[in-house]
Amino acid sequence: MGASTLLLSGNIDTIAQMSCNPAIGGQAKGQMVRELDALGGEMAINTDVTGIQFRLLNESKGPAVQAPRAQCDKKAYQFRLKHTLELQPNLQIFQATVTGLLFKAGKVVGCQTNLDIDFLGQTIVVTTGTFLRGLMHIGQNKNEGGRLGDFSAKSLSSSLTEAGIQLERLKTGTPPRLLGRSIDFSKMEEQKGDTHPTFFAFHDTRGPEEMFHVEQSGERRIGWAPGSEQVSCWMTHTTAQTAEIVRANLSKSAMYSGEIVGVGPRYCPSIEDKFVRFADKPRHLLFLEPEGRSTNEYYVNGLSTSLPFDVQLDLVHSIPGLEKAQLLRPAYAVEYDFAHPTQLFPSLESKKVENLFFAGQINGTSGYEEAAVQGLVAGVNAVNKVRATAPMLIQRNEGYIGVLIDDLVSKGTREPYRMFTSRAEYRLLFNHGSAEFRFLDHAKTYNLLSNNRIKNIEAKQAKVTHWVDYLEKTRNTGGTWADAIRRDRVGAVLPEELAKESAPVRDEVVYRVSYQGYLAREQRQVEKLSQIEKIRIPADFDYPAVRGLRRESALKLAEFKPMTLGQASRISGVNPADISILMVLIGAGAVRARDAS
Amino acid sequence: MPRSSDTIAALATPAGTSALALVRVSGPDTAGMAQDIFGAPPPPRHALHGDYRAKDGRLVDDVVATFFPAGNSFTGEDSLEISCHGNPFIAQTILEDLFARGGRPAGPGEFTQRAFLNGRMDLSQAEAVMDLIHARSERALAAANQQLRGGLGRRLNDLTERLLGALARIEAYIDFPDEDLPKEDRAIVRRTLESLASETDRLLATSHYGELLRDGIKTVIIGAPNAGKSSLLNRLVGHERAIVSAEPGTTRDFIEERIIVGPHCLRLIDTAGLNPAPGGIEKLGMEKSLERAAEADIILLVLDTTAPLPTLPESLTKLLTPNRVLVALNKTDLLKAQAFDIKVYSSLKSVNVSAVTRAGIESLVTEIIRMADAFQPTSQDDVVAINARHADALTRAKVSLQTALANLAASGPVELLASDLRGTLAAYGDILGKVDNERMLDQLFATFCIGK
Ligand SMILES: Nc1nc2c(ncn2[C@@H]2O[C@H](COP(=O)(O)OP(=O)(O)OP(=O)(O)O)[C@@H](O)[C@H]2O)c(=O)[nH]1
Ligand SMILES: [Mg+2]
Repeated sequence: MGASTLLLSGNIDTIAQMSCNPAIGGQAKGQMVRELDALGGEMAINTDVTGIQFRLLNESKGPAVQAPRAQCDKKAYQFRLKHTLELQPNLQIFQATVTGLLFKAGKVVGCQTNLDIDFLGQTIVVTTGTFLRGLMHIGQNKNEGGRLGDFSAKSLSSSLTEAGIQLERLKTGTPPRLLGRSIDFSKMEEQKGDTHPTFFAFHDTRGPEEMFHVEQSGERRIGWAPGSEQVSCWMTHTTAQTAEIVRANLSKSAMYSGEIVGVGPRYCPSIEDKFVRFADKPRHLLFLEPEGRSTNEYYVNGLSTSLPFDVQLDLVHSIPGLEKAQLLRPAYAVEYDFAHPTQLFPSLESKKVENLFFAGQINGTSGYEEAAVQGLVAGVNAVNKVRATAPMLIQRNEGYIGVLIDDLVSKGTREPYRMFTSRAEYRLLFNHGSAEFRFLDHAKTYNLLSNNRIKNIEAKQAKVTHWVDYLEKTRNTGGTWADAIRRDRVGAVLPEELAKESAPVRDEVVYRVSYQGYLAREQRQVEKLSQIEKIRIPADFDYPAVRGLRRESALKLAEFKPMTLGQASRISGVNPADISILMVLIGAGAVRARDAS
Repeated sequence: MPRSSDTIAALATPAGTSALALVRVSGPDTAGMAQDIFGAPPPPRHALHGDYRAKDGRLVDDVVATFFPAGNSFTGEDSLEISCHGNPFIAQTILEDLFARGGRPAGPGEFTQRAFLNGRMDLSQAEAVMDLIHARSERALAAANQQLRGGLGRRLNDLTERLLGALARIEAYIDFPDEDLPKEDRAIVRRTLESLASETDRLLATSHYGELLRDGIKTVIIGAPNAGKSSLLNRLVGHERAIVSAEPGTTRDFIEERIIVGPHCLRLIDTAGLNPAPGGIEKLGMEKSLERAAEADIILLVLDTTAPLPTLPESLTKLLTPNRVLVALNKTDLLKAQAFDIKVYSSLKSVNVSAVTRAGIESLVTEIIRMADAFQPTSQDDVVAINARHADALTRAKVSLQTALANLAASGPVELLASDLRGTLAAYGDILGKVDNERMLDQLFATFCIGK
């Protein structure tokens, strides 16, 4: 977009460091990474280049619920992304910890740092991760910090509170890291990557110059082709002894002794939670994930805990293959501040403080992918704000990014929010192959992709449309080609010319044809709803003054300040009659404006 | 303002005030629907008299329909007005048919809202409309809440909860493919869906108000032998439907006939006379008559004013409450009639009639209408709409459950199965209020240990 930008980080060596497991993607997240790629984000390409194991999840199910997942080389991932930032024109990087924000007349104008250097900016995006008053727990042991070995951003919270932003605590946890050569892999089951890796980035619409810009900029640090020489993960499980150790020591866990006030996620329970809540399940699966090619460190996915270190040791040793395992880093739980996302507009700008944007865990989400999509939206809109252009608002019906933001700003969250495909009403429309088409308009409007790539996407889209149309209309033996595809599913024969098209084009065409009825139904629902999504509510709309609006609805609406009628309709406690009334009134405003001009 | 993308339909007349009901349709598909129904493209702004045929070809009513093209209509979009007989059963059938053809029930004030948005109204009119929307929705809401607090709401909540359980079982395997979940058991899902489908069916069939609309208000004619019950039925029906004779005990089997009085549809049932000392086969007939009386919405008690007051069985007298019983004092054409004294039934409404001369029949009909009115909610408009909506929603729920079951049987793609179950959920939600996805996730995380 060409805006002049400054990135401040407490430690620039940890830019893009994966605090949790060294994996990107998975169900719903994988689709989001592709959407991000369609909007010019870096996560997809960075994962492809630094991934050490690739798997396509749900391969046996339909394309809409298939998702790519990759293990990454943790250090390579982080350094490549740092390098990408270094090469980014108009971006300045500086190492300093932000200690407070500077406000002027209800707007943010800059920030203060621990180095006593103040920075001024027209807009600011806050992305504090788990660092905002981060507090780590290992049993009774407590350390301040957002990640083991790192600092905690302490004074920024009070600066936000003073500006009227409400903060609350969340909690998340991470398992121990083990030394590979102390692990007996022969007692575990191997999980290999796919022979034909599924990549995250859309390589078919990119020229080679867009693919490897970092690698080609200087000496090549990465000595393998993406997807080659994959590394395995390993599966093991807890034992009866593990369960016994957990139960006997439950009172020593920071989670169960009342040390932690923050709310943790239901979908990522600690091992304590698993044994307490699912007492009849005899054993729980654990995955050992390699942290990289040039390290012997392993991440024990499934064993997050806040038990004391000595108990952790016993715990690890009770697991097949880990009898003699050495811990490199202990497991811990971390508590941190987040700001209720209902205090944000769908542009991710604060409703309380103008020009201030929030993205990532500070909005109550969890996960790299969830954070990344918000970072992109907040960043784009911070620039739009400076230029006084309309914000990029991604609707619920456009993709997972839209679902995520709408859920956050309309409903808020009580636990760290993770994306699931089941959160989307139009999941079938959100197949990962169509992300570039779905976001093309945004990419063009806000100049997020190269002209060359836009051209390629448009050409690809034209091909897909042409072929879908062709298959539906052209008769083959016993009906149209489309009928045959719907009947024979996987084994269906394609016209010769179509078979020659690239796999992404072919797959998308076959998907649209095979699922035609269901896709059309979702499309109809989208169209039905999109009308009220388009009706904007003026920012200064005076709800309490509206005759006929119920008082409780008026208060709710005044508090949430929805941007569109669609958003208003999703606020709990606002009923269809309220929306009808608003529709008429807003329509009246529009008519008045039209008559006046 | 964007143009509407869908077509809405609703009953426009507050029924009960006239013998005709007006169904209004508006939206882009109106012209196509009109053509399908009447078989020819409707001439604009020209009243067309014709047969309304439902999608399955069944004749519903003869109606007068007028088509208004976009530029010339109240809403500013293509609309159609269908004038049918003022019986809610007919109006309901027409509405349901319009929904089956792709229309949807109009929201509160939606016609007026469209009129405004399409520039057919000025601001002051629009403001008046807002008041109307408000008042109407409050009433509709009150009526809806009352129904939902009762059996329908409880049962739908239960169905929704079970559906969420089934959906959670499907979604868990979609969203958490690399988790350590127990082997997927679709049989549990299938059993749940089967029971949901049959219960949704029952709900559709047994809702009392729906039954009243479909089958009419059950009106049972009861009285001593020879009182003139069959004669009265014939008068009300308008032709000699039942056999009449001077012999007591003529009617043995029930005679049933549907009639329309004012805006109501009645299911008129003639019964065997109640003999205080019956023997053998007569006793059986009488018991059956009493059973019918117990199920009746309205009891028409026929007394022969020329005969002494009959002693009625106790099981009948305790059914005789003023809000559901109308006494027809029959044979008032005969001189002997004056001697009759009905103090015993003084709390009941009575009308003097003669089934032979027809005297008083009109007053009797007026009283029947008044009594039947009590079965219709005060604001016909709102409640018929809500009920048409219920039926529409339940039908959609049923259809998507059936599709889901077919998909299960064929081991079809699981994401399509989920899509159909979401369709069912949305349909239940149209009655109960939107179901938050969090409720599905609650069940999912309670059933499965998710999180490596
Ligand atoms: N004069 C006069 N005769 C009537 C009137 N209503 C009925 N009757 C006569 O009374 C006799 C019995 O009439 P029905 O209609 O068969 O009586 P019912 O109550 O159906 O008798 P059961 O079916 O035998 O129980 C017939 O002869 C009728 O013509 C009336 O209003 N006036
Ligand atoms: Mg008879």
